[in-house]
Amino acid sequence: MKKILLLAILCLTLSVAHAQTSGRFTLKGSTVDTAGVPLPESTVMLLTPKDSTLVNFARTAKDGTFEFKNVKRANYLIKITYVGYLPYQEAVKPKDDDVTDLGKIKMTFMDQVLYDVVIKAFRAPLSIRGDTIEYDPKAFKVQPGASVEDLIRRLPGLQVDQDGTIKAQGETVKRVTVDGKRFFGDDTKAATKNLPAEAISKVQVFNEKTEQSRITGVDDGKHEKTLNLQLKDSHKKGGFGKATLAAGTDKRLEGKINYNRFNEKNQFSVIGLGNNTNQGGMSWDDYQDFKGSQSFNWGDDGDFGFGGGVRYISFGGDDDESLTIQAGRGAQNRGFNKNWAGGANYNFDTKKTKFNTSYYYNQTTQDLDATARQTNFLTNSAFTKVDTNGRLNFNENHRGSLRFEKTIDSLNTLIVLSNMRIGSGTADYFSHQEFFRGAQDTTQLSNTSDQRNFSDFNSFALGNTAIFRHKFKKKGRNFAASLAYNVNNSEGTIDQKSTNRFFRTSETTPDSILNINQTNYTKSLRNQIKGSVLFIEPFAKKFVVETFYNYSLKSDDVDRDVFDINESGPVRNTNLSRYYRNISTYNRLGTSVRYSHNGLNIAAGVGAQQIHLDGKFSVDQNDAVRTNIDRKFFNFVPNVSLNFDLKQNRYLYGGYNVSVQEPNIRDLQPIVDNSNPLYIRVGNPNLVPTVNHSVNLGYNYFNPGSFIQMFFGAYYNYYDNQVIYSQRVSENLVTTTMAENISGGKNFNLYGNYGFPIVKTKSNFNINASYNRGNNLTNINGELNETKNNGYNWGARLDFTPSDKFTVYTNANWNITDTKYSISSGQNQKIINTNYGAEMNVKLPKDIYFNSRFSYNSYVNNRFGFDQKMPILNVSVFKTMLKSKKGEIRLSAFDLFNKNRGISQSAYQNFVSQEQVRTLARYFMLSFTYNMRGVAHSVRRKGFGY
Amino acid sequence: MKKLFALFLVIAGLPALAQSDGLVVTYERTFFWSKVYEKLTFLSEEEKSRMKNSWGVNDEGWKSKGQLVASPGQSKYVELEEEADGGYRGRKSEYLVFRDFDKARKMELEEFAGKMLLIEDTLIAPKWKVMNKIKEIGGYMCMMAVSEDSIKGQKIEAWFANDLAYGSGPERYYGLPGMILEVDVNDGEMLLTAIKVEKKPVAELLALPKKIKGKKITTTEYEKMMTTHFRDSIKSRRNPYWAVRY
Repeated sequence: MKKILLLAILCLTLSVAHAQTSGRFTLKGSTVDTAGVPLPESTVMLLTPKDSTLVNFARTAKDGTFEFKNVKRANYLIKITYVGYLPYQEAVKPKDDDVTDLGKIKMTFMDQVLYDVVIKAFRAPLSIRGDTIEYDPKAFKVQPGASVEDLIRRLPGLQVDQDGTIKAQGETVKRVTVDGKRFFGDDTKAATKNLPAEAISKVQVFNEKTEQSRITGVDDGKHEKTLNLQLKDSHKKGGFGKATLAAGTDKRLEGKINYNRFNEKNQFSVIGLGNNTNQGGMSWDDYQDFKGSQSFNWGDDGDFGFGGGVRYISFGGDDDESLTIQAGRGAQNRGFNKNWAGGANYNFDTKKTKFNTSYYYNQTTQDLDATARQTNFLTNSAFTKVDTNGRLNFNENHRGSLRFEKTIDSLNTLIVLSNMRIGSGTADYFSHQEFFRGAQDTTQLSNTSDQRNFSDFNSFALGNTAIFRHKFKKKGRNFAASLAYNVNNSEGTIDQKSTNRFFRTSETTPDSILNINQTNYTKSLRNQIKGSVLFIEPFAKKFVVETFYNYSLKSDDVDRDVFDINESGPVRNTNLSRYYRNISTYNRLGTSVRYSHNGLNIAAGVGAQQIHLDGKFSVDQNDAVRTNIDRKFFNFVPNVSLNFDLKQNRYLYGGYNVSVQEPNIRDLQPIVDNSNPLYIRVGNPNLVPTVNHSVNLGYNYFNPGSFIQMFFGAYYNYYDNQVIYSQRVSENLVTTTMAENISGGKNFNLYGNYGFPIVKTKSNFNINASYNRGNNLTNINGELNETKNNGYNWGARLDFTPSDKFTVYTNANWNITDTKYSISSGQNQKIINTNYGAEMNVKLPKDIYFNSRFSYNSYVNNRFGFDQKMPILNVSVFKTMLKSKKGEIRLSAFDLFNKNRGISQSAYQNFVSQEQVRTLARYFMLSFTYNMRGVAHSVRRKGFGY
Repeated sequence: MKKLFALFLVIAGLPALAQSDGLVVTYERTFFWSKVYEKLTFLSEEEKSRMKNSWGVNDEGWKSKGQLVASPGQSKYVELEEEADGGYRGRKSEYLVFRDFDKARKMELEEFAGKMLLIEDTLIAPKWKVMNKIKEIGGYMCMMAVSEDSIKGQKIEAWFANDLAYGSGPERYYGLPGMILEVDVNDGEMLLTAIKVEKKPVAELLALPKKIKGKKITTTEYEKMMTTHFRDSIKSRRNPYWAVRY
């Protein structure tokens, strides 16, 4: 204790002595108003004069006095503020004495007018940050339309010579930048003379390293005065674009160009592309560059329902018939395709109003040759079809879109959108089919069929939706209403010709021959009106109740006229010709309660829905005999969903929902369609809707510290009254199918994935596995067949990213599907598909890059002796060039081993099939790209890495 | 303005009472993801401008709320749960900043890359530069001060009200002669703005939760973890901001 005391005394003495010698001092004073009345509680700040760093602060006492004791002897800036008074600032130079008394500091009262002026207009004329002096142009009035040069003339410390040369603190300004970027090279006057003063939000003057020291990285100590003009956001504008041209062996050509110009409120873009290298339409990147701010719109879906509070992005259907532009289709690996596409897009964006319009055209010509083999299992027998076919398809679409979003005020929003598509196309199809009795294509030939079909179609579709959303003053209470009108009009002609030979007694001379020569004209018109309302009401802080109602009225008018072409001319086929009009009314009313608190979201609800089908069928419009189908289907649809944020990046999610799918109107018609004499369809007016129960549960985990990630889950589907196509196969191997309802079909899937770094940032490993089980039911020749699929998938991925110059990515996947047929257990079989892949990237000197991708696929089904192996190697070498790396030249080789084909195999219902399609194989290509935003390359894979 | 003068009278007349009272300030925090993507060095200029021109245009900021309770000697800042707006509601992030000015100690509870950290250390105020700029926030005249966070690479602009004689502020920002009512990080990447200022006794509100769980570390260790996290994430082409509080 004594020691500590001694030490303390020693320290104290020392510090006192120190204070005396090195000069610490006390600064004091007092604040008073103009009448001399003390101002207690005013704030006194002690700053360094160099950069205003806060050293100390104090509040004045009741008598207005303040005191800073033991302050380091140096020059200071004292700043005093007091409510209702102008801030006071003074430079302080300590006197030689121990105490420097500033005396009474008079604060000036700020009246209402002055206060307003200060608050609204007081912006310091300049502020200093480090060595940067920043001017705020608002404080310096210039004439409207004045140039930046006029503005600079008014800024203190800056001067402009007769010839336009700018001097800052007497030094000549060597460089003028706009938003930190060079403006027309080194001419300092280009920007200052041409830019309007009102476009500038800040003028900054600072010392910049010389060009030489920036290139060499060695600071030579020399600095140049630089003036930077910060543009106001409203004056920001720019453009970017990209063009690629490529030519290769086998007359392979590719070209793509896009350009986008924008300022704060407007975006305009164009795109054009063409190729014969199986590259589909726009990639996601192209789509985003094209649609700009309107790429992704939330809440454009007007069909409110369970989870109506959650807004999501909808992109329409997956099929070609979609009204909106489809992006990210990727490469087409079937046949030989020629693609052309082009379009323009315009966006106008302000906080309150958003408007978008676009036009897009695309066409594809596809030349496709395929060989397929399919074995169908019957009760203790089987038959095999071998099909060699060719197709020449042409398809084109014009798409237009309009979207308008208005934020009427903070509580009301209106969205109106309209999408249109005009499409047309032709398809030329020819096929030679051979049917064999048994599971092999070597056993007894049963029949052959030579078919040639030609079709030509035109279609027009229009979709309009208006959505109004209203928020009530009470937080959480919401209302939304939507109205939609959709039209789909199509017209087509199909010429069907086939020669079918049936062999029973001999394999060379047919017992009977059936020739079909038909022309089929189909006109269909669909009109749909639908509307939805949604109301959300919060209660008890953690709950909300959602109530919704959906209505839809859909009418289909279909007129199908079939003619048999005889030698005497076309004769109307009254068995196949059909006119029908079907009106489908849909009503759904539902409600659900959602609990949400601290990361746990649970919702449960139920809906009641009714579908009313009212159809009238006749041979043609004039036929008085009408068949009526009047069916009503009522279902309760429950819905449960769970979303739980378990903290530490762990998430649990799941749900149960029931969906109802109404029967297809084609399947309901009580007619026999024998346009394919080997595959006859029979309608079934007694069909009821399919009810699908689905359950899912999943778990997700990611550790951003160790980079370990994991997810697993399961889902299960069960079908009530599933619509299946039962088959009856005749002696002649003619299949007659009829849609029927069967309950009991189900499937189950279990999946998991685990990934971790072997060496953090340098190497990652990932494994995945899944199991699926499916039970499919079909009636085959009156006997129930249950097909059980057991699928096992597993795979692994290993990434090496050791440096910025070299990377390797490898993967392996195995997939085994075990199929068992209850009617023909002898036909049980295994399909094994395997894939191995490796990718290597190397960065060589002089901006040269090398990329190679190898994949090895194998497709095996031992039961049928099917064993196909496909090694594919793609190699490319490229170099970035031109100023700012805006250019790239690339030499690529695709499929060096010339092995590429489209191969697929599957086993389903009562069949197993394999198909091989001829497609683009080996070619070499040289391409050049010019990208205004620069061609950036990395040996790492694009985007966000795992 | 009249209110200001009335306030001035109250403060002038009852300075002692004013001191024993407390302050509750509610802040709205707005965070702009689109601006943060600009900083990811592994993305190309093309990728960055694509983000900016598509969803960046519509980025109205991700909003959350926090509350600061301050007495002259202590202050506590916590994140508030978002109000139900009819739909899915996310979990509020676990965040607590407690300062004891009398003891010059701090305690910070923060979620960091999936872990709960409890930082207990001495209070060291950021180095502030007081600038010559004034504006009004919620009826209070505020002065501007600037600072820098070299670990997170942030340029901080704070507006403080000398009339509110509390040396505290939202989140990690404090150490000015008056209450900080607004913080602007890196020219608008993140904004913290006072939306409600209430004067009331706060003794009860300052109480800490009974259970505080977290890995105990010091400020130096925290800064080291942050530096490593940023370096590794950028190298692995990940957005480091996904996993930590901005």
